[in-house]
Amino acid sequence: MTFSRRDLFIGGAGIAAGIAFTPVPWKLLGDVSIWTQNWPWIPQPSRGPVESKRSVCTLCAAGCGIRVRMAAGWPVGISGVATNPITKGALCPLAFAAQQLNFHPQRLRAVRHRGRTASWNDAQAAFQKACQDGPLLIVDSRPGRAASSILQAFAATHSGDYRVLLGQDSQALAPYAAWNGVATSALGYDLENARTIVSFGVSLLDGWGTPGRFTRLWSEKAAGRSDPELRLMQIEPSLSRTAARAWRWTAIRPGSDAALAAGLAHVLIEEHLVNPHQLVPPQTSLIDAVAQTGLSAETIRALAHTMVQRRPVVALACGSDPTIAALNVVLGAVGTSGGVVLRSNSRVLEIPVEPSTKGYSAVLLDDTIPWGFDPQPNAEVFRFAAWDGGGNQGDWLLPAPGFLEALTDVPAAPALNAETYSIAQNLLPQPEQVKTPVQFLAQIDSTLPPVEKAIQARCQEIFHAKRGVVFGEQVVAVANFESTAKLEEQLRNGAVWVGEPRHPAPWKCALQQWPSATSPWHSADWSAAWDPVVLPPLATKLYQESDLREAPARSNT
Amino acid sequence: MSARYGMVIDLDRCTGCGACMVACAAENNVPPAHSRATARTGITPMLVRRLSNGTPGADAREAFIPITCMQCGHETPCVSVCPQQAVEVDKATGIVLQMPQRCLGCRYCMTACPYHARYFNWWDPQWPPGMEQTLNPGVSVRMRGVVEKCNLCHARYHAATEKAAGAGETQIDPLDYVPACVEACPTVAILFGDLADPSDPVSIAADSPDCFRLLAQIGTDPKIHYKTTQDWIRALADRNSLRSHSPEAQHV
Amino acid sequence: MRRNGLVFLVGFSIALIAGWAVFPRVLYVSRQQPLDFFHKTHAEKSGLTTCDSCHVLGSDGQFTGIPRNDICTACHTDKLGTSPSEALLVDNYLKQSRQPQWLIYSQQPANVWFSHAIHTKRAGLSCAACHGNYGESDQRKIYQQNRITGYSRDIWGHSISRLRRLPGDGMKMTDCENCHRRRHVEVGCLGCHQ
Repeated sequence: MTFSRRDLFIGGAGIAAGIAFTPVPWKLLGDVSIWTQNWPWIPQPSRGPVESKRSVCTLCAAGCGIRVRMAAGWPVGISGVATNPITKGALCPLAFAAQQLNFHPQRLRAVRHRGRTASWNDAQAAFQKACQDGPLLIVDSRPGRAASSILQAFAATHSGDYRVLLGQDSQALAPYAAWNGVATSALGYDLENARTIVSFGVSLLDGWGTPGRFTRLWSEKAAGRSDPELRLMQIEPSLSRTAARAWRWTAIRPGSDAALAAGLAHVLIEEHLVNPHQLVPPQTSLIDAVAQTGLSAETIRALAHTMVQRRPVVALACGSDPTIAALNVVLGAVGTSGGVVLRSNSRVLEIPVEPSTKGYSAVLLDDTIPWGFDPQPNAEVFRFAAWDGGGNQGDWLLPAPGFLEALTDVPAAPALNAETYSIAQNLLPQPEQVKTPVQFLAQIDSTLPPVEKAIQARCQEIFHAKRGVVFGEQVVAVANFESTAKLEEQLRNGAVWVGEPRHPAPWKCALQQWPSATSPWHSADWSAAWDPVVLPPLATKLYQESDLREAPARSNT
Repeated sequence: MSARYGMVIDLDRCTGCGACMVACAAENNVPPAHSRATARTGITPMLVRRLSNGTPGADAREAFIPITCMQCGHETPCVSVCPQQAVEVDKATGIVLQMPQRCLGCRYCMTACPYHARYFNWWDPQWPPGMEQTLNPGVSVRMRGVVEKCNLCHARYHAATEKAAGAGETQIDPLDYVPACVEACPTVAILFGDLADPSDPVSIAADSPDCFRLLAQIGTDPKIHYKTTQDWIRALADRNSLRSHSPEAQHV
Repeated sequence: MRRNGLVFLVGFSIALIAGWAVFPRVLYVSRQQPLDFFHKTHAEKSGLTTCDSCHVLGSDGQFTGIPRNDICTACHTDKLGTSPSEALLVDNYLKQSRQPQWLIYSQQPANVWFSHAIHTKRAGLSCAACHGNYGESDQRKIYQQNRITGYSRDIWGHSISRLRRLPGDGMKMTDCENCHRRRHVEVGCLGCHQ
């Protein structure tokens, strides 16, 4: 029997015919199609129990309450907390994708010294040496935290200075603080009781203050109404988002805010629209205002009349321009309901940091310091950061915990009309290679308390003062709590303590003379208003993948 | 009883912040933009467009309009053209549900959609290492070559039905089913609910004379209503079809 | 001609044998679970005789699936018996807070959404209706993985022809569809997918 090629072919045909009667072709077809859906490079979400936890967003000083959906221990979704009395469930666009930030390509995971990887021991040795060589400067951008008090204590006991870098929203309150001898962080705006708000370019509806606070207020009292309960008068050169939604938009030439404020004050006093006040703007204020703003005198007069139709009225400024603050004094909006109010007894004076760090040998920048703050290189700079902002590396880049990776507390956000306090529970373990500034300093000075202890002490203070209300799943007055531990437990689970608003009392304003204007301040767009040095990757929806916004003015997104 | 989920979006409240866009992308596992992605080729199931009355100077007016899948209820264009039956109108909820797993990427539906509310995955979705752990497990990850669109956060509907079943209820609690964009809006501009239920706030709001729908005249019966007291916006909506992503189409 | 026919038949038979007998063996690869667990033995020793003692359906509708360590540590804070499997569990997993990487027989693709709450609580299905009498087994159940798809053999069912299947043997979409059709429960595509 010889096998020939024909046998092969016929045998092959037999095999082919036979295969059709087996499960092979059909099973293979199905299995291969499933295989094509499971490419290894297609990411799969975590599988595991889904739970909902509460914490506080720490991307900026607003400290919005967040509800974090966790799957298998990872944060997979962030939303607001509807029962939060300040945010009412709102968040800024960044917060919704903030869980991505810990995996951002620019996440810092190793100590860097002038661009090269180093170790924590190296950094510690360098820091101790620098402190020995001369005075230390510690700069903090979110004063009032438990960590801030520890930084302050370290500076005090190691012959150093503790200075504060205030955010834009806080800086606008600086003039009032200076005139009345109170801390800037003790002040706020009582927008909830105002009926007219005159905003000099402040982006109230787009990135100002705590998200939700003003947007919800405006939405309830003003949106879509021709005769709203809350009149938002926006004074701004261009049609910003806030101006587009405001009740009235007045376009003025850029940089003429101070002139307009003086002109308005002039009209208010001249036409007896306000109570007489010792503070009087220069006689030429109205003429100057007409010249600088491009508005007619009639328009400015009409503006002044409209402003005071519905009181209380308060004026808001972007920066620390004292003339707009003086306008508030003239309007009687300082220390009164609906105006600039004192929200806490805090007498702690925060000394703002100087632009130059001359005279210091070591500068420690807390991880809340904006990346753009660049001290003059006279000292060795130890910058804590969770993300690398690119550009100037500074001397030492020390990796700090990222989003939800470290326990911290959140004092009252700027501009709120009452004191608040909440605790940002860390929902993720702190990675090994990162340290908070307090942990770093504790290795040098072991007498420093950990942040947990300082937070506990703060809770104790609140408990013993027996004032205010805790807004958690339920609303409970502090006086009804059994112990500090119970209060702290609530705060750690996402509740927020709100102090009682101070009874407004008119302040003795030390201001005798109308202040001269400082340099013009330009209202910030969204990219400057938001602190984080990197944006969550999904933020591209807002500028790259749509025409909604301008790309942020950074080189490192 | 079947529901018809829809929305009333108040254009007088929308400030164009974009929180809804980011919240939508995060909820639906939309990948970070490819470096070459643009406004035409990006994936924005919720897209906020800018409207302007075109007048310069002090009479300029601006508004923002969130555009999402309109959930067409009548002769749904995308459903009728899909060769794969990858999209259907769900009987229980009235939602036009896209199944990316069935989609073969012909993009016929993208041509058919009068509202340009459908987006194509031009690139393989990629996340930086480790970031995939933060993906929402309730929404499947698409691959390159499929079309996707707003499903009215159907994953949240799933979670609500599961929760109702766990509690022994037959109907979901409306508070449990809130799409991401609705939850995210800081001015509460988006009202969401069941248009088939006359007592639902969204039904009552949709009956307001201030409400209109985009391209109502073509008869797709969209379930997304818009509300505004400003006449110039209504005039713009009636005249323009918001055709393309080009800047020119955004102005009168 | 007869010779050709014979050769054809030989080829045909080779194909049939390969397709029906060899192919299933080759398609699947057996894999080992991280440790042995026998439901029947465990039920007898612990007195936990119902599925939901460990496979818990929460009040929010979430189902635990394969129980995580917190359910095991409710009893096994330390070794309760002498079995090497338990020793492995306690020493290598529970005490180190590591989850055993169980190979899941009924693992479905990520685009499938299945709610145990709806099927067990609302529809009243028993566990055995889909999972078979697995809970009463004291045999080691081998996990056979399809080399091409990566899923368990239990999804297709042990019978390669899908004939003569027992309940719980087979969890493909057609199996779900058949039951839905029998019970007249209509759901759209995204009723089961996501």
